[in-house]
Amino acid sequence: MSFYKYKDFIEEGDLVLAFISRGLIKPFTVKSGEFLNTRFGSFEHALMIGMKYGTQMGGVKDRGFIHLLHPSPELWTVSLPHRTQIVYTPDSSYIVQRLGITSGSRVIEAGTGSASFTHAFARTLSDDGKLFTYEFHEPRYIEARRELEEHGLLLNNCLITHRDVCNDGFNIENLPEKFAKNGGLCCDAVFLDLPSPWTAIPNLSSVVSSETRVGICCFSPCIEQVDKTIEALAEHGWTDIEMVEIAGRRWEARKEMVRDVLDVIERLKQIQGKKTQGIESKRQVKLEEESDKKRSADQLDADSALPEPSGKTTKFNPFGKGIRIKEGDEQFNWKQVTKVETEIKTHTSYLTFAYLVPTRS
Amino acid sequence: MDVQHNCSTIVPNQHVLIKLPSEGMKIAFLREEGTISLGKFGAFKVESILGHPLGTTFEIGENQDAVPVKSMIHNEDPVENEITEEELTKDQLTKYFEVSAESNQDIINIGLSIQKLDNKQIDDLKKSGASSEIGQKIIEQIIAGHAAFDKKTVFSQQKYLRRKQRKFLRRFQVEYLGLSQLLQYYIDKDIQRVLHMSEETLGMLLSYANIRPGGNYLVLDDTAGVVVYAMLERMQGKGSILLIHENEHANLAALRHSDYSEEYQKKMIKTLSWLQFAEPENEKIEWEDLPQEEIDEMRPTKQLQYSRRLKRAAEINDALDMVINGNFDALVAVSTLNISSLLPYVVPRVGGSRPVVFYSPYKEVLLETQHELMTDKRVLAPAMFETRARVYQTIQGRLHPLMTSRGYGGYILYGIRVFPAGGHIQAVGKGTRKKPKHDNVKSATMTPQPEAEAAKIEDLQEGK
Repeated sequence: MSFYKYKDFIEEGDLVLAFISRGLIKPFTVKSGEFLNTRFGSFEHALMIGMKYGTQMGGVKDRGFIHLLHPSPELWTVSLPHRTQIVYTPDSSYIVQRLGITSGSRVIEAGTGSASFTHAFARTLSDDGKLFTYEFHEPRYIEARRELEEHGLLLNNCLITHRDVCNDGFNIENLPEKFAKNGGLCCDAVFLDLPSPWTAIPNLSSVVSSETRVGICCFSPCIEQVDKTIEALAEHGWTDIEMVEIAGRRWEARKEMVRDVLDVIERLKQIQGKKTQGIESKRQVKLEEESDKKRSADQLDADSALPEPSGKTTKFNPFGKGIRIKEGDEQFNWKQVTKVETEIKTHTSYLTFAYLVPTRS
Repeated sequence: MDVQHNCSTIVPNQHVLIKLPSEGMKIAFLREEGTISLGKFGAFKVESILGHPLGTTFEIGENQDAVPVKSMIHNEDPVENEITEEELTKDQLTKYFEVSAESNQDIINIGLSIQKLDNKQIDDLKKSGASSEIGQKIIEQIIAGHAAFDKKTVFSQQKYLRRKQRKFLRRFQVEYLGLSQLLQYYIDKDIQRVLHMSEETLGMLLSYANIRPGGNYLVLDDTAGVVVYAMLERMQGKGSILLIHENEHANLAALRHSDYSEEYQKKMIKTLSWLQFAEPENEKIEWEDLPQEEIDEMRPTKQLQYSRRLKRAAEINDALDMVINGNFDALVAVSTLNISSLLPYVVPRVGGSRPVVFYSPYKEVLLETQHELMTDKRVLAPAMFETRARVYQTIQGRLHPLMTSRGYGGYILYGIRVFPAGGHIQAVGKGTRKKPKHDNVKSATMTPQPEAEAAKIEDLQEGK
């Protein structure tokens, strides 16, 4: 298991994501002797070992099933334990794209939060890049540190620091050799997900590259924060300041029954027909009853009554009214349609971008 | 392998993106001795920009020498039009803005006659020199010639000035030609070529496809290589791309702007036609090495031909082996082909738990594919995504979304390649079909769920 490389078969100790249903992915570590219990059945870890990633696994006694997935930053984002609000793929993918982050980039992330974006950064940066991530909240820092260690990120390209970057800056004492460039952090991209990024911006000058253009993205939910941020950015020499919002939507594929008006008319005619038939028959009954009154009671017998209108359902039922129809039932005509997800993220945060271009004399 | 791209400093023999004040852009190759023309914005000598960091903005000075300036619209003299950059104080604005109105109450629209300078006079001014100073002079004269400039509010005056600066200042910005920049260039020049894909959609595509160094990707690219270039930039020389094309040769025209040598491209990108891809076993080239003596006897041209054919055969066979081995780390399909017709060929080649990602400018195209994949057991949880960036006017105190934006962007369909359980489930207990109760529970929680359930029932039936 690794966030840097796929492997094919599940082994003891792997982090596996159990896809239980859409919106429910459960991360777990494979340990022989244990069971993964879900409301759709129980799944024995020992049986998973040797299975291919991507396998659809049946539960004990074939009760239910799950899919065993290999972790990726995108799947981790929708399955991780939340400690804070997290940056979802539409935002994170855009930030990485717009800041031109590729393998080899050196990136600052503050704060680490739930470490969702941390995983996405680490994947893109790969062996040649470096990620310096900072978290000021101690329990969150400890939790994130443990997680990054377990996931192999600390071994590879991440360095997590417990620090309030607004007050204490970004410089790291005793920076490991492996993480240093020109004796320092020398970063070319910065991501600030902090309540007051404008207080951290002045501290950046000593940790950003003095040779390369540096890109920054400040992630703030309120427009007042943006206002203060752009002021601080301009004051510290950042240019090309631009704020954008990302609207991500998931679309559902659905089917809508094709209901033709001619069918409606025909059905109405049938109903009408039955009704008149019904009225006619009732009138008949009434007439007979009246005449019956005139006649003697003993003359009345069973066969004078007309038969009931045929069957309970109408003969012509083009849309399956009254029957439970499954979307896409082949007996009916369907049109493929899209529908936006039930709950959309109308606002995540404002993304303020800017660049710092070092001057050469 | 190529030396790593230089993405920090402007050096000779490099492709760069040049952004113009008009918001237009061009890609230029920097020849050390060369001069680059920016049309109406003038021309500059390449040597004058060398050594500066990529991303620097320049102004054309005397003798076509470019001088670095802070930004495209930032003024070096006290005139401060970017209110965000410094406090808006009266003395910074004295030059143009000493007289301004509190509101636009007194503005009367009298059209062009408000400007005393005519086009000919402006043209004459333009001809009087080529440096940026002339631009500044023109702007000053235009403002002087504007009969109601003082009736504008300060904000409006700033906007006016910025518009004129865009038009007359001879500034340009030199950027590294990264994955976003190449896309932007095509969006600007020929959006159809990149199938109306936006920067945010490309970013999302690369993330969902989990593109990173060392990956082995199966790719369909109808953007002439813009998507392939983006992948190469993310891969940084590690891993491989197998590109399937519909003509005799792959179209990677966009890569001519890149600094990737032909050798490097050959190393990273293997190409196969759909015919070769669809029937990899039949398309193998049977090759028998000729005995060395026979080669030695050949004329030099023949020898060359022989070695070329040998190389080509080896390349094709290698690529075909990649297909046969399958297990690709992602499918990235940016294709205008009917997706339904290509699914049977591509899906089985993708490795377990790896992403399958399609792009289309049209949601309807992906809708059809999603419905198809929902009944196909091999792609888990297919879903369509849309992402749109909304850009704001970013001026302190006056933040608001831009009034208009270009409408484009496209859609993404993303799912995960999985292996339906057929054998496994049958082995556990073929007879124990789910009780209806269980069925209901699952249906209620899995949306849209029928495919998984249907898949399972089908699996059980298949097991008979």
